[in-house]
Amino acid sequence: MQTKKEFRKRDFFYLLPLWLLSLIVPDADDLYSYRSKEFKRREFYYLGAVLFLPLIWSDPHFHHLMVLAGIYAILALGLSLFLGYAGQISLGHAAFFGIGAYTTAILTTRYAFPTFLAFWASATTAATAAFLIGKPILKLKGYFLALATLGFAEIFLVIVRETQTLTGGVIGIFGIPWFSIAGFSFDTYLKQYYLIWGVLLGLFLFSKNLVRSKLGRASLAVAASEDAAKSVGIDVAQIKIKVFVMSAAFAGFAGSLFACIMSTANPEAFSLGFSTLIVMMVILGGMGNLYGPIFGSILLTYLMDILGRYQEWSLPIYGVILILLLIFFPDGIGTRVGIRLIYLIGYWAKKKKRDEGKL
Amino acid sequence: MPKNLPACTKPFGEGRFSGQVSEGGQTEDFMNFWTYLPQLLSSGITIGAIYALVALGFVTITRASQIINFAQGEFVMLGGVITFFLLKGLNLPYFLAALIAIMIVVMIGFLLQVSVIYPLRKASVLILIMATLGASIFLSSTSALVFGTLPKALPPFSGEQPLQIGGLTVVPQSIWVLGVTFLLLIVLYLLSHRTLLGKAMEATSTDPLGADLLGISRNLMVFLAFGVSAGIGAFAGILITPIFFTSYNSGTLLGLKGFIAAVLGGWGKNSGAILGGFVLGIVESLSVAFIPSGYKDGVAFAILLLILYFRPKGILGSPFIDSRRW
Repeated sequence: MQTKKEFRKRDFFYLLPLWLLSLIVPDADDLYSYRSKEFKRREFYYLGAVLFLPLIWSDPHFHHLMVLAGIYAILALGLSLFLGYAGQISLGHAAFFGIGAYTTAILTTRYAFPTFLAFWASATTAATAAFLIGKPILKLKGYFLALATLGFAEIFLVIVRETQTLTGGVIGIFGIPWFSIAGFSFDTYLKQYYLIWGVLLGLFLFSKNLVRSKLGRASLAVAASEDAAKSVGIDVAQIKIKVFVMSAAFAGFAGSLFACIMSTANPEAFSLGFSTLIVMMVILGGMGNLYGPIFGSILLTYLMDILGRYQEWSLPIYGVILILLLIFFPDGIGTRVGIRLIYLIGYWAKKKKRDEGKL
Repeated sequence: MPKNLPACTKPFGEGRFSGQVSEGGQTEDFMNFWTYLPQLLSSGITIGAIYALVALGFVTITRASQIINFAQGEFVMLGGVITFFLLKGLNLPYFLAALIAIMIVVMIGFLLQVSVIYPLRKASVLILIMATLGASIFLSSTSALVFGTLPKALPPFSGEQPLQIGGLTVVPQSIWVLGVTFLLLIVLYLLSHRTLLGKAMEATSTDPLGADLLGISRNLMVFLAFGVSAGIGAFAGILITPIFFTSYNSGTLLGLKGFIAAVLGGWGKNSGAILGGFVLGIVESLSVAFIPSGYKDGVAFAILLLILYFRPKGILGSPFIDSRRW
């Protein structure tokens, strides 16, 4: 009786923070449940926050950061399809991002394309590049796939630096116009915020449907075991290349928006460090979860902003934080928070009892 | 630290050799290619030896644990930069400075294993890649903080006077590079084939469970392999810094090229790493004659994509790849 009473008290004590946490933090139950087609209440909370937060908190710096986070989230969302749902590795998504940015930059500044057309052209170009590069390299696995995608990214950088007549070399391209649709120009941070998060919402709904589709289920099977997937008649190579092309198209969209909002495109922005950052966003959010990359990108964008104040110390601190996060949260920060909390609490409770000599 | 360094403005990769060659080596005067060929070959062999050493560092760790350490290039950079600091900053004799630098870098290798690899020993490939990339960011930026961002050049081991060997101009440092590489190869060969330690390392890589059953400590083997690999990297750094300028950010590219060399020759084989290093160095050096020198860094990655597509086992074949069916 004594123990039962204790347990109840503790249960009540921990339920409140757990419930609050479970409201905020997305969990990974999306991954293997295909039935839940309707939206949950939590998702309307998120939507409300995204819609009304910039109006309530009208700080331009906050708006700008959220714009950047939204762009990174689009890129990370695409990468998470490839990384989390198809179980592959890519360190080359900065290159697809760069291809998108440069396509928009060249089309709008040299050939005076409307930005809306350039936006679609960027995604098409990035997807085409992904298709061409994916055919040969997607048969690799593990370290070698990482190295091959990294090699592709480096070749992209070398080409961008050297074809100076087209891309402006190391200096890059300046003066890219604001994004505009039918004469409506997105020229303030607030307008850009709604543009980016609108695009992100669209792509999010697309990928939410995608992971429940035939392709999404097949890619999950590929991630679990390629041999098993092959044995039930899934064309593994086909699935991998489809998901790769799709994630590159996401990166192309993000790159195009990035070029429009920064109004420049230069090769320094698309280096290995950027690929690392994007992969970290996917890992920290939790792989195999569509909310993960969005939360991860908001988190890391803020982290980078805070670290930027420490100037030359920022990179060493960033390296240490990166390693520590990987050691302590290899599944992502938000993944299975409830279960982990219960485990921790149970551990401490048992330890206390053990110390008292009761157990 | 001395401020008036001689023309230390060029980044790594456009050193004295390629700088000489690329001026006349364009496609328009193709006749020049044959006159430059021996010179290109000799510079290719020199840089190839360095790539071979970096590749050996990768292979040493892989033979013990099947981990790929993306921070390997930073060991090379640290070797050069710390030697420069000890030589110019503390005025130590050359030999002593090099020795202390190698010891410091080996310590850093041990620390890296204890603080990053050991806690992540059960993590997936992606997590390990990201963690070693994080370590690489940390090491290079810390080096920039401590030793400054200027590119550094050590004095050559034995004089600047170029040697004339049969109409070929060779910097004496190249001969040092080749000689020390050869010596290191012999030492590594003896270590991995003639000692119990080397055999234990190989056993942990080929069959971790079997090695555990025999009482071989897997973590100790990985620990030692990181030390050896860091030492090889530091050696490469000290050898290369008199020829090419080493700055805080030159490690990443060198590390990647060493990795490419290891894949090119045959992943997981010492002989493959050496062959791959020399082939990569020579091809990269010869490519300067045909394409603009700015594309030189892309050549290595193009070779990588080609070799991964057509023969992922590498030139000599790989003991790891057949069994795991990648």
